[in-house]
Amino acid sequence: MGSILTSGSRHKVQTARLWILTVLTVVVCFAADYTPEAVEAGKAQFVDACSPCHGTNGEGGRGPSLVDGREVRRADDDQLFNSIQQGVPGADMPPFPFPNEQVWHLVAFVRSLSAPAVESKVEGDVVAGEALFFGAGGCVECHRIRGRGGLLGPDLSVIGSSRRIDQIREGLLDPNARITAGFEAATLDGNIRAVVKNHTNFSAQVFDSSGRLHLLRGKELDRLRFETKSWMPRDAATRLADDQVRDLVAFLSRQAAR
Amino acid sequence: MRLLACALLLSAAAIGQIDEAAILEGAGDNWLTYSGDYASLRHSSLDQINRDNVGSLVAKWVYHVPGARRLETTPLVYDGVMYLTNTNELHALDAGTGRRIWSYLAEAPRRAQNRGAALWGDAVFFLAADCHLVKLDRLTGALIWEREFASFEEGYYTSLAPLIVKGKVLVGTAGGGTGQRGFVAALSTDTGEELWRFWTVPAEGEPGSETWGGFPSKWGGAPTWTTGSYDPELNLIYWPTGNPWPDFYGGRRRGDNLYSNSVIALDADTGEMQWYFQFTPHDTHDWDANEQLVLIDREYKGAMRKLMLHADRNGFYYLLDRETGEYLQATRFVERLNWATGIDENGRPIEVPGLEPTPAGVRVCPSVRGATNWMSPSINPEIGLLYVVTLEMCETYTGSAKEPVPSSGFRGGGSRQIPSEPGQFYLRAVDSVTGEIRWEYKMTGPATMWAGTVSTAGDLVFTGDDDGALVALDARTGEALWHFSMGNTLYASPMTFTADGEQYVTIATATDVFTFGLFSD
Repeated sequence: MGSILTSGSRHKVQTARLWILTVLTVVVCFAADYTPEAVEAGKAQFVDACSPCHGTNGEGGRGPSLVDGREVRRADDDQLFNSIQQGVPGADMPPFPFPNEQVWHLVAFVRSLSAPAVESKVEGDVVAGEALFFGAGGCVECHRIRGRGGLLGPDLSVIGSSRRIDQIREGLLDPNARITAGFEAATLDGNIRAVVKNHTNFSAQVFDSSGRLHLLRGKELDRLRFETKSWMPRDAATRLADDQVRDLVAFLSRQAAR
Repeated sequence: MRLLACALLLSAAAIGQIDEAAILEGAGDNWLTYSGDYASLRHSSLDQINRDNVGSLVAKWVYHVPGARRLETTPLVYDGVMYLTNTNELHALDAGTGRRIWSYLAEAPRRAQNRGAALWGDAVFFLAADCHLVKLDRLTGALIWEREFASFEEGYYTSLAPLIVKGKVLVGTAGGGTGQRGFVAALSTDTGEELWRFWTVPAEGEPGSETWGGFPSKWGGAPTWTTGSYDPELNLIYWPTGNPWPDFYGGRRRGDNLYSNSVIALDADTGEMQWYFQFTPHDTHDWDANEQLVLIDREYKGAMRKLMLHADRNGFYYLLDRETGEYLQATRFVERLNWATGIDENGRPIEVPGLEPTPAGVRVCPSVRGATNWMSPSINPEIGLLYVVTLEMCETYTGSAKEPVPSSGFRGGGSRQIPSEPGQFYLRAVDSVTGEIRWEYKMTGPATMWAGTVSTAGDLVFTGDDDGALVALDARTGEALWHFSMGNTLYASPMTFTADGEQYVTIATATDVFTFGLFSD
């Protein structure tokens, strides 16, 4: 029988696996190290070398944003490493021929800038945040997590894996800074709160506060009045204590599907 | 505010629920399951678009799926909302305008094609490529849960639209080409808990294991990568299975290799197998039997029978009694077929010797893509014709006796095209009882498409064609009445529904979803 039965063949496969593992281990030893120390070391270097173009916090400037830029998310560690050490031909990015270890620290810091919340360390109390979300905080009246909650706000079941911590905090404290697509606030028929999922000059797709979907056509769009602000309460910063905000952010940052 | 929340939850609960009765109504205003109904007829009762007016069909909207490369989805429609899938994602659209209402992207580490979603209650389900069943709120797209049912790290992945029967989500797997042992599993619609699982390759010592010549069951393949059918009266689920592994070399798996290339009939409550029928024993040409299983009651030799119709990748069209699994008859539906001279009275192919793949290669018909494949057939029950997309093609098959290494891409050989014998696609109308071909529509194109069909009560059959067009044919004669070129390869099957009181026909190209309706001022 073939390799799936004979011990000799199994040995060959195991040997091959051992080689692969060994090679991978060697690569990892010299690859990005995501410890807090490495990130801190990278941050110090970043301020000196990279911030003139990419901004102090990687927010972008002359160079692209490293916080929500696609380039960083798409690139693997080796590509980031090479972009830093060798520059990007055809772009303004010059080479930074630092020693390998320093470049890996930079890679670790750059990665941390765009890391989703679920992969980041949080300060608050997750359990207290959960109680607040489903209780006194009132969040559940409009938001859902795993099927529990209202409809007027975005589902937050995977917010920890789709947003960074700073984005979650911003959404809580300054909800109008960035309104999630598909949650534009509107009033239907003069007095019904609604969110607009999508609209053109010819049709609109709208959820009202009773959970009913309205597929509006042509003249029916006159029933819709867009609001200038989202339905999200804007008083979280004054209504919630600092530790409550931290707890809520901690709880939300742990919401991921997997 | 709390009152508002209560009102929201109550009203959501009061919104119409999709259940077995709704699916049993069949395809009409809504299209609730992959094949339109449990019997996989792909026939709609809609006749607003018909032979008399189909010439005035026009494109109504196009939805571009961002990043799509190979859409294989059959969209579902319920109450004016369309649900369509791409790799690891599901989009809900306003079915009358094509405007997106919401999208959900699963964070899966693997990509694979996806053929569609399933609706049940107030939820919509789909499968992420890494074998996670995803349950979403049907109205809002809010995640309810994700459940893993097989390990992609062990080589499993999935691509099918699930089927929901009696509160169970029936799922299957792909990955048979790398040896992973196939199964059908039933997961609870409420919790995702696995309720039963049927392995398509018996474990050592179980009945059927003697047909593998000692080959380890863990690597037998026989995947379950297309959607099955269901007969509620018999309480049976029918699921087709794929080829044994290694695909092209059978020397290490001597025997029939049950239950590969078969249909298995499973008790809907327990998953216990009631009967099986194997179309291609000991397959060495990658002729999965994953083509759709069409269930219809017809008179056969003077008596009404509960039939199962199946046009197989191996080139034969089969009639089975779906109550017992009894073989009734088989007829060839392609001309280019040289591996067997026919099917004997027990349903076993009469094989031509010497056509096993060899290191040097041997010419065999049909090609590895089969005489047909997962492109969906449809049937017009009134006319009695089954519409089957058919590929006339032969290929050179090669086989390798090298040691099989699971999960390595090893398939024991392969196939290659014969430059002097290009493939030719047809849509063939097969008499569902006699197997006689009543008419055929010859397509133009490079023989690269995978599109299927939908039949309607307007006496029309719509098919995707090999040149990237949707074509409407007279269901009785095969006359081409209308076409629209979409300029892209087709990998999906069309469907039809109503929105705003108007009938529409939809098909996905590789990258976009096109929807057509009658011209109106």
